[in-house]
Amino acid sequence: MIKQDVCQRVLHRALATGADYAEIYAQNTVNHSINMIANRVETINDTVVAGAAVRVYKGLRSVMATTVDTSESGLLRCAEKAADALGEGTAQMDIVLQEKAVVDIHPVAVAPGTVGNAEKIRILKEGYFAARNYSDSITQVTGSLLDVDHNILIANTDGIYTQDRQIRTRMAISVVAEKDGETQTGSFLPGRRAGLEMFQEIDPKAVGERAAKQAVTMVNAGYCPAGVMPVAIDNGFGGVIFHEACGHSLEASSVAYGRSQFVGKLGQKIANEKVTAIDDGTIPNAWGSINIDDEGTPAQKNVLIENGILKTYMIDKFNGRRMGMASTGSARRQSYSYTPTSRMTNTYIAPGTDRNEDIIASMEYGLYAKDMGGGSVNPVTGEFNFSVKEGYMVRNGKICEPVRGASLVGKGSDVIMNIDMVGTDLDMGQGMCGSSSGSVPTNVGQPLIRVSSITVGGR
Amino acid sequence: MTYQEFKQAVIRHAEAMGIAEYEIYYQAEESTSVSAFRHELNQFTSSVEGGLCFRCIVNGKMGYASTEALNEEQAERVVRTAHDNALALEADDPVFLVSGGQDYEKIDREGYELPKTEELIKKVLDTQEQLYAAAPTVIDGSSTQGMAISMDLAMYNSKGLDLNYHNNMSAIIVGAVVSDGKEMENDYQIKLGKLDTLDTEALTAKAAKTAMAKLGGEVAPTAVCPVVFDPEAMSDLLSTFSGVFSSEAAQKGLSKLADKEGQLIASSAVTLVDDPFYKDNPMPIPFDAEGSPTCRKALIEEGRLMTLLYNLKTAAIAGKKTTGNASKGSYNASLGVRPFTMYLAPGELTEEELLEKAGNGVYINSLSGLHAGADAVTGDFSLQSAGYLIENGKKTTHVKSFTVAGNFYDLLFRITAVGKNLELPMATGSTAFASPSVLVEKLSIAGK
Repeated sequence: MIKQDVCQRVLHRALATGADYAEIYAQNTVNHSINMIANRVETINDTVVAGAAVRVYKGLRSVMATTVDTSESGLLRCAEKAADALGEGTAQMDIVLQEKAVVDIHPVAVAPGTVGNAEKIRILKEGYFAARNYSDSITQVTGSLLDVDHNILIANTDGIYTQDRQIRTRMAISVVAEKDGETQTGSFLPGRRAGLEMFQEIDPKAVGERAAKQAVTMVNAGYCPAGVMPVAIDNGFGGVIFHEACGHSLEASSVAYGRSQFVGKLGQKIANEKVTAIDDGTIPNAWGSINIDDEGTPAQKNVLIENGILKTYMIDKFNGRRMGMASTGSARRQSYSYTPTSRMTNTYIAPGTDRNEDIIASMEYGLYAKDMGGGSVNPVTGEFNFSVKEGYMVRNGKICEPVRGASLVGKGSDVIMNIDMVGTDLDMGQGMCGSSSGSVPTNVGQPLIRVSSITVGGR
Repeated sequence: MTYQEFKQAVIRHAEAMGIAEYEIYYQAEESTSVSAFRHELNQFTSSVEGGLCFRCIVNGKMGYASTEALNEEQAERVVRTAHDNALALEADDPVFLVSGGQDYEKIDREGYELPKTEELIKKVLDTQEQLYAAAPTVIDGSSTQGMAISMDLAMYNSKGLDLNYHNNMSAIIVGAVVSDGKEMENDYQIKLGKLDTLDTEALTAKAAKTAMAKLGGEVAPTAVCPVVFDPEAMSDLLSTFSGVFSSEAAQKGLSKLADKEGQLIASSAVTLVDDPFYKDNPMPIPFDAEGSPTCRKALIEEGRLMTLLYNLKTAAIAGKKTTGNASKGSYNASLGVRPFTMYLAPGELTEEELLEKAGNGVYINSLSGLHAGADAVTGDFSLQSAGYLIENGKKTTHVKSFTVAGNFYDLLFRITAVGKNLELPMATGSTAFASPSVLVEKLSIAGK
């Protein structure tokens, strides 16, 4: 994208006022999406996002300037803007850039850009009509096939000059079912850091059927009763509980500023000893995976919590300065126009030893959450919430009738102490996580777990 | 390339490809953001972003393609891609481009100049000190952010439309973190306007006070009872469910308000208005995303659904006129429908009188997780909440970590009284939501 000698000159200009670190991040991304509703292809969106950001640090101050003009003169102007904003001083560093080839641990077989609309529409329709034809009670289906070809270049005064290409593909099917004038919804949105070969692993028909089955199940369900009870949360997207209840509070963007309940807790027991939690950006072709983070640091497998003991936070370079800790390869940004910060990649609770049937059998009265929706958290207080998309009551150790409209609320530090059974069958679900550096793809995951007691919102 | 140069290049390519009907939609934003942590600046961002969307009609279908990079190669690519995308579409809905020469409302509001960077930095540092001074419980972690944003919008099409819009906005956002030695709480407050007229003293005092009020508190008891929502909580609910008033959602079976125009859909206490020129909206805009003139309209009048929100396509399908509510989520998005400032018209009662009327119940001043705990299609919600118990008509114990559950369509009928304290709490763009406090006769509370 941008030649090494150009980067060298731009970084040099960025250092002009005495910065002790400078970085260029350049991006060229093609986003493509095909959207269906009412049995037809309604819209196709195609967007090229391209631009660059120059960032400089001086001690604990950071300055970023962005530009859509990635010519040398445009980048130099951008660097000058950043340097000027930092204040007065003189350059004190030499820069020696060295090209660092990225080892691609996420090979792509069928790049989406090489496939035309017709083939993508064929795949989308398989999923779409599998949902549409699932039951007579289905009144509407929306479906999308999204693909992203995201190319980044990072050069910094640590000497790094590196590039990466991140290809992602995702199918999203949402279904509305109706019965006696009442509607309910179901959805399934699997994605991979891969090209269209993802549909060799994931059958589009199965995507549509799963979304449809959920809507039909829920339209036949009554409302979830409210109260405090044990809850078993299934694998896959169920892992959103750790993501919200704990993950965000372990990001340096909260921890470095004292805005987290887990500040100063390294080496201490913060979770039930059954809980080992990991953030791993290196899982081949997983939705949240990266080769390098958005500061050029290679992706890592970070054990956050081991048998209940807090081992590390998720750290980017800038916040790492304030914390006196090294980057964990966790810097991420939606695009050049966002300042990167520490974020999650693929975050999951590691498999334990409890058998699924024992977990359900242990519950006299409670809720089995088979599929979860999204949630949110305030890292300062740890108060989180998330919604149950598909739930069932459990009575006397047996899964009984489906229930709709449940949500779970609590405090992160309490709930991770209360995860007292952890199953063996790890699975992940895909989401887009929104935070200060924009919306980034993340996986959540876990085996079936039991939370001994949590507030269930219902009616 | 500048926008004007790129526009000319796009027009050239469109004509070369024989595309007779097309539109260019351009949006650009220049922003400066400064933030303080402890007693010094820690982040400064100067950002330029924006892009251009090209749409064209081919075989009666509307194809789209967008780019942020304005160069010759992209000028060719957007035209070719939009053309190809149009050919792959199947929906046979009518498509439109607006003709030039429409009659637009004059906006009689004085714009303001954006602050110089030095002024913004000084204001942020001063405000950060005011925040620390606001209360002894304010601790490190508290932050102040200042923003100055200049936004430009331009639309041009082959039917003579040529519109431009410019808006400046500056804002101060404070995040107070407080501690009583046992636990932490926080609160964010935002104030928009001309920088030197912003009362940051009041803003920091409010953030510190609100954060402190959140300390302590009990879990509310599980009950089905009357609920009073404060203006911010009710505005959040309106925002979450505003999509049910979209004609597009209705026509696609994603809103239960399909075929309900003219019918009662709410209690007689409810009048709901959409006004692009609402006094506190920071971005009054005379044209919508199709270039149609915008206007004020009542959606619900004393409980009766007067109209849904329309753009040209949905209006044609329904045999109506557009309400000027065409929208684009961002420059590159497909056309949809959205309100400008949607607000619940104020009633007669003070908040104290609403509480008295409620008797015993729960007062809610904070809702979280609206993107997850609410289903805009079914109207169901189950949301993390905080507030106070209402006992004998008065706010008493501070409560949190409970949920409020119900259904939005049902809630509209159960609004028994609306306060007179209309507020627009969090407007940051051209879409905003405002409400007074509202009494709902019965909702489900799940707590201990």
